[in-house]
Amino acid sequence: MSSEEHNITPHDLHAYADGLLDGPARAAVEAYLAQNPAAADEVEGWKRQNETLRALYGHVAAEPVPAHLNVYRVERESRIKAMRWSRMAAAAVILLGLGTAAGWYGRGSFAAGVPAQVALVDEAMEAHRVYSGEVAHPVEVWAGEKDHLQTWLSKRLARTLAVPDLKAAGLDLVGGRLLPAASGPAAQFMYEDDAGHRVTLYIIPAQEGRETSFRYASLDRLEAFFWTDETISCALVGDLPRARLQEIATQAYKQLG
Amino acid sequence: MSQVMDEIEECVPALRRYARALTHDPDRADDLVQDSLERAIRKRGLWQPSGSVRSWVFRILLNVHRNELRRLRRAFTPVSLEALPGGEPAGLDVQPGRLALAETARAMQALPAEQREVLLLVAVEEMSYAEAAAVLSIPLGTLMSRLARARAALRHMTETGAPKLRAVK
Repeated sequence: MSSEEHNITPHDLHAYADGLLDGPARAAVEAYLAQNPAAADEVEGWKRQNETLRALYGHVAAEPVPAHLNVYRVERESRIKAMRWSRMAAAAVILLGLGTAAGWYGRGSFAAGVPAQVALVDEAMEAHRVYSGEVAHPVEVWAGEKDHLQTWLSKRLARTLAVPDLKAAGLDLVGGRLLPAASGPAAQFMYEDDAGHRVTLYIIPAQEGRETSFRYASLDRLEAFFWTDETISCALVGDLPRARLQEIATQAYKQLG
Repeated sequence: MSQVMDEIEECVPALRRYARALTHDPDRADDLVQDSLERAIRKRGLWQPSGSVRSWVFRILLNVHRNELRRLRRAFTPVSLEALPGGEPAGLDVQPGRLALAETARAMQALPAEQREVLLLVAVEEMSYAEAAAVLSIPLGTLMSRLARARAALRHMTETGAPKLRAVK
């Protein structure tokens, strides 16, 4: 054995199997392996492992990259997400204030309850902003087909929904639509008063069936009352005085419950 | 700034391959890549030109993956390997040596995570040992000993047959 062969380390053998050696270093390992069949066999096994692993996984990198993994698209979408988060954080601050005022802060359910409620209010307000100003298509199904609207949305939410009649509060039904919420399908009913003010009622299936009392949030001139009964979580959103919105919410709550 | 974006973009096919090999689940793998890209893009101002963009985004992907595993471990009880459906994982279209591939795929899932991470960086991503050690933030010596243990374990499992596979904790 030459002195060079004495210097062959396991590191060199792995590097040889991984094709990381060239020139004299590579030749030295080859000379060593020629003298050591057991080591040669082991190195051969490692090379076969590498080939098998490349055969197993290599094809993934050759697949076309899905559009949603385009870096510029990811960048755009995470900017939008960051904006939503800051809005939700603002709503959360308001909720925290409310919870403290109501003496609710000490309850164990606070931490678990708030994020779902914040998401509900955020989604309901966003849906209100998008559709309440719409002239041509504020709803998918108009009030003329109220029975169909009720059957359809009850089926999609897997909950029996009675579209509240809010005429006593001076509001006529415009219609409703199905919306995608973070947790699944959501229903939105839209109402309008004589002056053309629109109020929307946003409903999602209740997550954990924990009933809550009325709560209130306000953000960017929009006001929302929200609550959860045993099967659904609701948020009533509008650009109306708080007392008036509470009166409407109470009526909606009674008819939905 | 947009040069870093382009360099991140070039890594996406390899990130998908590595994520698929780590998770053996195409949907989870792409979710993992998406989360990692979001994080890399958000933090691209923090990238240090001293290393390559590739090793930086791979390091991010591994961190996201480990965090997810920790979360899953808290949320679910681990399933034993015997309970997993047999056969090869989805997405394979290689004809020759199907059995060896399926056996290796199962053995890879049985490897301790730290050995699997090393072996895939070296064998599939074909990184130099120095780059793989940088991705994993471990010393070169640790990398080499994990690589040697991964190869020995894989060889043992594939040569002694699937029934001897043991579930990983």
